[in-house]
Amino acid sequence: MKPAEASLPSDTEVLVKRSFDAPVTLVWRAYMEPDLLRRWCTGPPSWSMPVCEMDMTVGGQYQWRWRNDEDGMEFGFTGEVLEVIPHAKIVHTQVFDPGNMGIGMGGEPSIITVTFQEGDGITNVATSIKYASKADRDEAVATGMTDGMEMSYTQLDKVLAEM
Amino acid sequence: MKRDIFQAIADPTRRAIIALIALQAMTPNALAEHFDTSRQAVSKHLRILTECELVTQEHQGREIYYSLEIEKMKEIDKWLEQYRKIWETRYEQLDILLAELKQKEKEELKK
Repeated sequence: MKPAEASLPSDTEVLVKRSFDAPVTLVWRAYMEPDLLRRWCTGPPSWSMPVCEMDMTVGGQYQWRWRNDEDGMEFGFTGEVLEVIPHAKIVHTQVFDPGNMGIGMGGEPSIITVTFQEGDGITNVATSIKYASKADRDEAVATGMTDGMEMSYTQLDKVLAEM
Repeated sequence: MKRDIFQAIADPTRRAIIALIALQAMTPNALAEHFDTSRQAVSKHLRILTECELVTQEHQGREIYYSLEIEKMKEIDKWLEQYRKIWETRYEQLDILLAELKQKEKEELKK
């Protein structure tokens, strides 16, 4: 599959698109079932997802928490489900939970909209993250950037080791 | 107020101006012909783009030509690239999981 594409549709938004070689029924399950979500939504090998509680019905709450098993660092996200259209769309709020990392992020929740669309057995997933303000967006990315770079490099190391 | 490149690209007219001057340096009048907005509005967008250091001006006689600072545009690319990588890492793990789920479905159909 082609790598993820990221764009900036507006001052407060980030849009990420990616296609998956699987029918939407399976992709939907991977997003909705905690046991499946925690298997892919983790990042590098030393990170686990000890808390993955979610009630994916309208008005339901979720709590995700990640932990670096090497140094005990934790952070997470919590939020409320706003809209669910099975196999098509999920909208939820998201608030950063700094855990024990001592990094702050804007208190206002962001709105995450994930849409799923299947064609020829390929599922296109578009994730829009709408931050409460431009400052929130820049801060979220700046914080995630360091972690994300680390994740990517660790992942790359693993791939290279297997070659 | 300090301006930055993200403000520059937040507006659709400014994005269109960027696309036009990426091809060749243009005067405000020439740019205005491409839009329904007034020449004044185009000038205002150009001022914002200048403050964001995305465009440079060059005086030729009485005309001012605006051109794009390609290097500055690359900053946006770099920033987005980091963001994209975070997601791609997860998605690659999702690829593996989905392949497994597909396989399981197949096996269950066989039973």
